[in-house]
Amino acid sequence: MTTLEQKPTRGEGRKDPWSQLLVKVGKSQDRQAYHALFEHFAPQLKYYAMANGMASHAEELVQEVFVSIWRRACLYDWQKAAASTWIFTIARNQRIDMLRKMRRTSAEMQVETEDLWQIPGEDENEPVTSLHRLMSERRVRESLRHLPEEQITVIAKVYMEQKSHQMVANELNIPLGTVKSRVRLALNKLKVILQDQNV
Amino acid sequence: MTRHHPESLTLMEFSAGNLSEPHALCIRLHLDECSLCRSRVDTLDSLGAVMMERQPKVSVSESMFESILAKIDSSPSPQHTAKTSPRISVLQKLLGDDVNNLPWKRQLGDVSVLDITEKFPDQNEQVVLQKLVSGGKAPAHTHRGNETTIVLQGAFADQKGVFNQWDFVVLTDQDEHKPVAVGGEDCITLSVLSAPVKLTGIFTRMLNPFIR
Repeated sequence: MTTLEQKPTRGEGRKDPWSQLLVKVGKSQDRQAYHALFEHFAPQLKYYAMANGMASHAEELVQEVFVSIWRRACLYDWQKAAASTWIFTIARNQRIDMLRKMRRTSAEMQVETEDLWQIPGEDENEPVTSLHRLMSERRVRESLRHLPEEQITVIAKVYMEQKSHQMVANELNIPLGTVKSRVRLALNKLKVILQDQNV
Repeated sequence: MTRHHPESLTLMEFSAGNLSEPHALCIRLHLDECSLCRSRVDTLDSLGAVMMERQPKVSVSESMFESILAKIDSSPSPQHTAKTSPRISVLQKLLGDDVNNLPWKRQLGDVSVLDITEKFPDQNEQVVLQKLVSGGKAPAHTHRGNETTIVLQGAFADQKGVFNQWDFVVLTDQDEHKPVAVGGEDCITLSVLSAPVKLTGIFTRMLNPFIR
């Protein structure tokens, strides 16, 4: 349909449908693609906003995220992150931003949210480690399939409900050490744990 | 090449967006110089995306897409709003000057400090820069609560090892140490102190990792 699919590369087959749509939005402001992304991601994002205590601002968050997707899509590089990962980081930053603004009393913010939490692929000049990154997303999805539910529950509370490990422990009524070891087991499968780290 | 990295659980909390700004700053400064941890965070960001995908979906109001379109149509086209300017390091943005030129306050002997807590309003953590002159020693001390430190310049050594530029270290109240600045440069660190601050006052409560 558009010109961007013309040049198949070795990694082309790895581009998932959502990433393809997002590329179209970035390259040609394709509104149909944008709408398809909206249909798929907006209900996820709304749940995300509600789960972490922003129920009264849930739709506002979804809206802000989508406006931001439109504006930044030209910076999106599918070789650096899958669309779902890219959108997750935008949503996370939007949430942090909204909370910062609500909390703000008088003082100016010296450091912006995005100085601290980056969107993958932006402001980066490193040689493309793309295959590694894309595999990482596939690997995550694949690994999660084999994780025990108790590990996933703990991780979900950290990501979706913004709970600290201590809060998760209190809520599930299990020791903090148990929470941490569940997370470590999961992260070990995902190869996030460093071999020599004495934790 | 840094050798001391943040714990995986801390990186996960960073990726989830659950860390305070000062703690996120320590992680950011480390990530900017450590490709190993950047790729760990990439994986964790993907984990966040996959977790979001596995959750229930909540339908949005009928008119939302229309209002989004209205919003994007009323603002400049994407290319003009996209950020293209080169990135200024977050540290420079925060401090406005080279770390060596700051209004350091001499404390004891070889140690100087600069409290920058006020740059992070609405936080209950203390954020401080500390400088140990090249070859200088800090008196032995312990810590109260958790203190997260990143080395911004030079290096220090204590009984746990040598901590070079961009190394990341978390000390707890179990750790007693006696750091020495090694190498030719003054050692400058940024520390975030999570324990409540007011109780002991600024002079008795001096700072980690050099002094308390």
